[in-house]
Amino acid sequence: MKNRLRVMRAENNWAQADLAERLEVSRQTVNAIETEKYEPSLTLAFKIARLFGKPIEEIFDPNHSGSADKA
Amino acid sequence: MNATSTAHRFLYPGLPAAALWILSYLGARLALKTLEMDPWLRVTVALIPVLPTALFLWLIIANIRGLDELQRRIHLEALAIAFPLAILLLWTLGLLQVAIDLPAEDWSYRHVWVYLPLFYFVGLAIARRRYE
Repeated sequence: MKNRLRVMRAENNWAQADLAERLEVSRQTVNAIETEKYEPSLTLAFKIARLFGKPIEEIFDPNHSGSADKA
Repeated sequence: MNATSTAHRFLYPGLPAAALWILSYLGARLALKTLEMDPWLRVTVALIPVLPTALFLWLIIANIRGLDELQRRIHLEALAIAFPLAILLLWTLGLLQVAIDLPAEDWSYRHVWVYLPLFYFVGLAIARRRYE
């Protein structure tokens, strides 16, 4: 699933570590979501959406599936 | 929460508990080998490592519950790799035991257990790499 997390983080001038701290996850988790190696749970996706003040579908695009979570 | 702090969180309580577990196991083995004891006392000594093992398990589970969702998935994938590898090792040793005269002193369960945490750390490295 494609996402705009990296772009939105850059717009806020946040490092991955800053975003990770705000989301209470590890920096590796933020990186894995940004590089589309991992698709976050609904709970984390909502948390991200709330943090950026945007609807989930503006951040995550379910119509473009990437390589995340595939063997 | 970065990878280093995650590792520290995991290792800080885990290592002393693991050390206590291993020491109690080695102590119990030494006592059973060297001391004359009644059978009921031998059984009691053999069961002593159960307590530190339970403490170790509790700490590990508590720590894993405190990790974020990706870190928990990484540990799950590590187990998914380690568990079949452990079964493969035991089956292979079982078959080899039938095929040839495998020296029990080298390949008994008392020595083979070392491979189990090793498989887990191999699984952990593979799973971590996948999400880097």
